[in-house]
Amino acid sequence: MLKKALFWFTTVIVLLIVIGPLLWIYLTAFKSPNDIFTTKLGKLIVFAPTLDNFGRLFTDYPFWFNLGNTAIVSVLSTFLVMLVSVPAAYSFARWNTGEGHLLFVTISTRMFPGVVAALPFFIMFRTFGLLDTHACLILLYVYFNTSFATFLLYGFFREVPAELEQAAMIDGYGRMEIFRKVVFPLILPGLAITTVFCLIWSWNEFFYAFLFTRLNARTVNVMISSFWGSIENQYGPMAAGAAIAMLPTLVAAWFMQRYIIRGLTFGAVKG
Amino acid sequence: MVRKPSVWEVLTSERYFKWTLLLPLLALLLIFMLYPLFYCLYYSFFEWGMQGDAIFIGLENYRQMLNDKSFLEAFVRTLEVLAICIVAELLVGLGLAMLWNREFRGQNIVRGLALLPLLVAPLVLSLLWNFMLEYDFGAINQILSAIGLGKAYWWSPHFALYTICLITIWQWFPFSVFVLLAGLRSLPRDVFEAAKVDGASGWYTFRRLTLPMLSPLIMIIVVLRTMWLIRLFDPLYGTTRGGVGTELLDWLVYRTAFVYFDVGYGSSMAIFSLYLTIAICAIMYRHLMKALGVIR
Repeated sequence: MLKKALFWFTTVIVLLIVIGPLLWIYLTAFKSPNDIFTTKLGKLIVFAPTLDNFGRLFTDYPFWFNLGNTAIVSVLSTFLVMLVSVPAAYSFARWNTGEGHLLFVTISTRMFPGVVAALPFFIMFRTFGLLDTHACLILLYVYFNTSFATFLLYGFFREVPAELEQAAMIDGYGRMEIFRKVVFPLILPGLAITTVFCLIWSWNEFFYAFLFTRLNARTVNVMISSFWGSIENQYGPMAAGAAIAMLPTLVAAWFMQRYIIRGLTFGAVKG
Repeated sequence: MVRKPSVWEVLTSERYFKWTLLLPLLALLLIFMLYPLFYCLYYSFFEWGMQGDAIFIGLENYRQMLNDKSFLEAFVRTLEVLAICIVAELLVGLGLAMLWNREFRGQNIVRGLALLPLLVAPLVLSLLWNFMLEYDFGAINQILSAIGLGKAYWWSPHFALYTICLITIWQWFPFSVFVLLAGLRSLPRDVFEAAKVDGASGWYTFRRLTLPMLSPLIMIIVVLRTMWLIRLFDPLYGTTRGGVGTELLDWLVYRTAFVYFDVGYGSSMAIFSLYLTIAICAIMYRHLMKALGVIR
């Protein structure tokens, strides 16, 4: 009995620590400035909710435009990533191309310090006049997600039995047909998971977005960050923006529970 | 007369198909990996302010780096953050994984909720924590003083670095929990039953059976977290912006190259940061490849 009580006590405390701050964003989003900057303890939870923050966010700032930028960049970059990663992962999984070394080189791009790529590309994009465009951010996200996607897909492709493909070859299928008709349907779930992961990663990315965009291609994260550190800290609109911008990832996190660990560990742990 | 095979036929032939599939990736690696690498390497031997001519100065940037107090401090701080975060995450992760490694009512809800911080943008979380840890009206300090502990200066020069660590640990401890939980679930049951029959104590079983069997997963956590922590940037942007003694390597490179436009010096520090990552990864290469299942 005591053991059970202790178990639930610890679990509830941990959940409070985890969920509390996230809920805080949603609470703050509905608070007026007076309630945000209060030092009265009771006002932390009990306050008169208001939609002012959302109103200001939508009218005074290009919130939807920036959210749209994030969406465009995430979707297009994810699509390009899949075009590159799917064949590559298939090649690595089926033929062990490059005996693991090439695969290691591929993962290692993910280990590169972001700044190593940021500097040369900043200067290159400046020369081509690509700074602050969707194209430059899409290219950077392709670079930054490909290694990860390839590795995750590699795990899924390895689960497709080679015998299936051999059987198809005996039936006279060419390599392309085998890929399209035999392998592709089998890895569709893996494809879906990888896609969602790339989307989330691009959605949350800040470093490149912050360096490479100003106005036209500014993503929602950069916009949210601009509420902090200017003349006054505008916590209200900031929380309102964050509350909306993080909704898709929270929903995805909830529904993808089973796959998240698999994704984060490059498929090494079958969560 | 044999017809000459078309390009498409050659590309999809048994012999070349595997390389055809890799072509896009190889092209991408060439552009996005080798180009920046050599670019940084090249400019690390020059002095260049993004305008005008670059002046060749040999190894001067590297020499300057070794005598640069802010660089050495940032380097030590980065290692400090690495050690603190990884150890704390592993300990918390191991504890909670052991705790939750059973069937209980509402387990899916508990796990689902605990996962959430992993997928929220680090930048948003850093802004949030900066707000919650504010001295006067921050929620944490108000709660602390309400229960009689008094307010804490979270962003004082002595403590800010640890606050950054706390934020990072808060976001990433679920990662360790769930990796280790997956590991615990896959352990063979009969070994533990045999240990129980032989009268082994709980602590002995944990040290001699559980820990060794979890070690590949602990390795994965250490490697992946090292990779991510070396390039910590977002948690700094939303909070201290590299001030009050929290400047880490990536931030210093950013400041040198993008605020002071010292491309040459920035490049040499970027290269250093890269070497550091490569060195750490090389040490762990075999373990990592084994853990990821590429080699056996």
